[in-house]
Amino acid sequence: MVLYLLRRAASLLLVLFGLAILIFVIARVVPGDPARIALGPMATPEQVLELRTEMGLDQPFLVQLGTYLSGLAQGDLGKSLLTSRPVMDDILAALPATFELVLFTIILQIVISIPLGILAAVYRNTWIDNVTRVISLIGVVTPGFVLAILLQLVAAFYLGFFPITGRLDPSIAFDADITGLLLVDGTLKGRWDVVADAIRHLILPSIALAMAGIGQVVRITRSAMIEVASRDFIEASRAYGIPERVVRFRYMLRVASVAPLTILGLEFASLIGNAFIVEFVFSWPGIASYGVRTILQKDLNAVIGVVLVSGVFFVIANLVIDIVLGLLDPRHRLREGGRK
Amino acid sequence: MSEPLLDIRNLTIGFRAYGQYRRVLHDVSLSVGQGERVSLIGQSGSGKTVTMRTIIGTLPMPPGEVESGSIQYDRSSLLDLNKIERNKLKGTGISIVLQDPMLSFNPVLTIGRQMDDIVRYGDARLGQSRSRDARRRHIIDTLDKVQLSDGDRILDSYPMMLSGGMRQRVLIGMALLNKPRLLIADEPGTALDVTTQDEILALLNRLVAQEGLSLLLITHNLGVVREMADRIYVMDKGRIVEHGTREAIFNAPQDDYTKRLMAAVPPLYGPDVVTITNDKTAPKPAIAIEAVSKDFTSRSGIFNQHKTEHRAVDSVSINVAQGDIFGLAGESGSGKTTLAKMTLGLIDPTEGRIEIDGQDVGQTRGTADFRKLIQIVYQNPGSSLNPRRTITDQIAVPLKFTGHESTRIKTRVCELLEMVDLPADMANMYPHELSGGQKQRVAIARALSVNPRILVLDEPTSALDVLVQSTVIDLLHRLRAEFDLTYLFISHDLSLMRNFCNRVGVMLRGQIVEEGPVADVFGTPQHAYTRALLSAIPVTTDAAEALKPKVSKEERGAVLNRSTAIGG
Repeated sequence: MVLYLLRRAASLLLVLFGLAILIFVIARVVPGDPARIALGPMATPEQVLELRTEMGLDQPFLVQLGTYLSGLAQGDLGKSLLTSRPVMDDILAALPATFELVLFTIILQIVISIPLGILAAVYRNTWIDNVTRVISLIGVVTPGFVLAILLQLVAAFYLGFFPITGRLDPSIAFDADITGLLLVDGTLKGRWDVVADAIRHLILPSIALAMAGIGQVVRITRSAMIEVASRDFIEASRAYGIPERVVRFRYMLRVASVAPLTILGLEFASLIGNAFIVEFVFSWPGIASYGVRTILQKDLNAVIGVVLVSGVFFVIANLVIDIVLGLLDPRHRLREGGRK
Repeated sequence: MSEPLLDIRNLTIGFRAYGQYRRVLHDVSLSVGQGERVSLIGQSGSGKTVTMRTIIGTLPMPPGEVESGSIQYDRSSLLDLNKIERNKLKGTGISIVLQDPMLSFNPVLTIGRQMDDIVRYGDARLGQSRSRDARRRHIIDTLDKVQLSDGDRILDSYPMMLSGGMRQRVLIGMALLNKPRLLIADEPGTALDVTTQDEILALLNRLVAQEGLSLLLITHNLGVVREMADRIYVMDKGRIVEHGTREAIFNAPQDDYTKRLMAAVPPLYGPDVVTITNDKTAPKPAIAIEAVSKDFTSRSGIFNQHKTEHRAVDSVSINVAQGDIFGLAGESGSGKTTLAKMTLGLIDPTEGRIEIDGQDVGQTRGTADFRKLIQIVYQNPGSSLNPRRTITDQIAVPLKFTGHESTRIKTRVCELLEMVDLPADMANMYPHELSGGQKQRVAIARALSVNPRILVLDEPTSALDVLVQSTVIDLLHRLRAEFDLTYLFISHDLSLMRNFCNRVGVMLRGQIVEEGPVADVFGTPQHAYTRALLSAIPVTTDAAEALKPKVSKEERGAVLNRSTAIGG
């Protein structure tokens, strides 16, 4: 198991390194002079040249890459042209909000979709199955931003059940200085009013984000459960007198959960992508709003930083999934690390 | 005979699906006495499995429906019991051993966990409880009964870490955990190598004798039945067509179906054996394999730094003459499929060289000419045919890739279907509309479509019922004569090989240990492994039994010492 983890971790570091180089190259290849954009059309050529020198853009490409990578190794992502602050600081300030949203969304997805999938499989071809089928279809085909606007309009604006925008009601004074996550810090400090309000704010954006994934995972859980149900060992377990509930939840679900968990790991990537739009709709002070602004402004260092951070997110999520799969299914860890 | 333990009377069962009602069991009556060994023989689709599931209580209802009849088990009527009382009998009164020992385990739980669950819930239903340690001791004792002495290590293993033979033993142990009185075994050991199967059958026989079990054996293998049954029921299309004692059925079968079944089993020894010869004389061999070896490398460690080489094929040399049917015999893992793949140019040999029709495979493989020379028929036509394409599309694939004119493809497909005795109107059907035998004929037609000189047949009949098998074998013999073909036939079924091939090579751990004309190899086997293999094959007549080579336990242990080891 330890060997399995080390191998996964090593390969993931390699992925991040590759991603860093790739995104850096892409950022340098796209047309447009960042210095010119940053200074605006009124700047003189001398000013542009000066900024280019300051940013190191006049250096040979490989030197730029080397400087960038050595900075990266020390946690330095360069300076943002937009805010004139280190990119790392900007990202760290915005990250907790996004992290909280994405994490809440993933939990929502697991809690809703896996039980729904099991229900659909157990009550296959009944009205329960059909209802979940419709729900998951709607989830898959509705773009996140449409859902976001709809929810905002109906549940928040007309009905007033939830706040329209933001992370926390401005009237609540709270400083999330431990982890930056309102739910965690609120709990640690015993501020239940903060936790409750944060959840109220989280619900609509995370539903908008979660629906597409829920649709997929419900269908996959359902078909995996049905597939496992027809295997010999399930019939054998029943014939040996194992009670039905144990057969379903311990025997079937454990084997069937591999496919939905793998999908959830991949889902993480699209979650961060979709979060860009959903955060925008709900004015969520997360990394997405920051990312959108930096892309429009061609703030190269910041763009690279945002992409790298989403990469780290994705890689860590998949590491976690790999660990869980390794615990659930011995074939994963044993095959990877050779026998014992 | 005293009161039978299991007594099925006039059982009629059907399935209702999409408004259609289809009867699958017609008026089936069957009984198993205390301590008796009863076999239920039939081909796939005959209703054996439905019978088994109805007895054990795992037949889904609906869609299943019991129309009439009764099942008495130990004075209670199974079909009238309520759910709780019925469940009480599962595993404790009646237990099963399913066919495939790999698929019968939950792959993600340790053996110990699975066995402990069975004991624990079995206890719960009987209203008793034992400590975890007591249960573990009971499990290890049970494993001891199925001759697995290494109980502790097995319990901590996952199913995939055990060899096939061990899994089958553990499976039997699992079925016995709650001390059932009736054991239903569905094709025990047929998924295993013949020598392992032999051990499993001996084990079952011993358990019946020692534990006073009653055994209901469900199988299609007549050789197994001969070794394992006191009484026999023959089932065809949901009806019991004949039943009687083993002697009566084997010596004087009455029903036409039973007779055909008996006749279709290829005999290993005796007067009915067919010896194929090859009287062609050709200057150069069709396949010349010279000192070929193949190593597979597996890597481990964090940076894949540890290399372990596994020699799958070890300096094998074979010459297959034109017109030969060369049989490559051996158990799983012996390297026969690897050798066939190298012959087809699908993988490269590590050492040595293979020539097909005088041309080096390494040079010519991948070319259209090479594809026209040699083709393959796979084991399972169910998976070697694409379920979403019509028969015409499938047969046309090799034609397209060898530069056949597209306008001629239609007529060529019709020709080919006729060649393998299939009606031309099947051309537009999909594989699922065909039976297993018909599908395999399509696979043969596909291989023949480019007029190859050589066919590699990878267990072409092992997925088929014995009656269907004999028709496919006849077809292959006819095609060989008609089109001057050479076959490389891979199989673990030595009885079939005896009657189908003219030469055989026996493989053991990557090496050819014995090779020669069939009559010599089967008549006077030289190598201890060949003798062990032959002696393990279940045969259908006493005469053949007497002619099998006799192998002592020690001799067998010497060549088969790996069969029950952990790993594999």
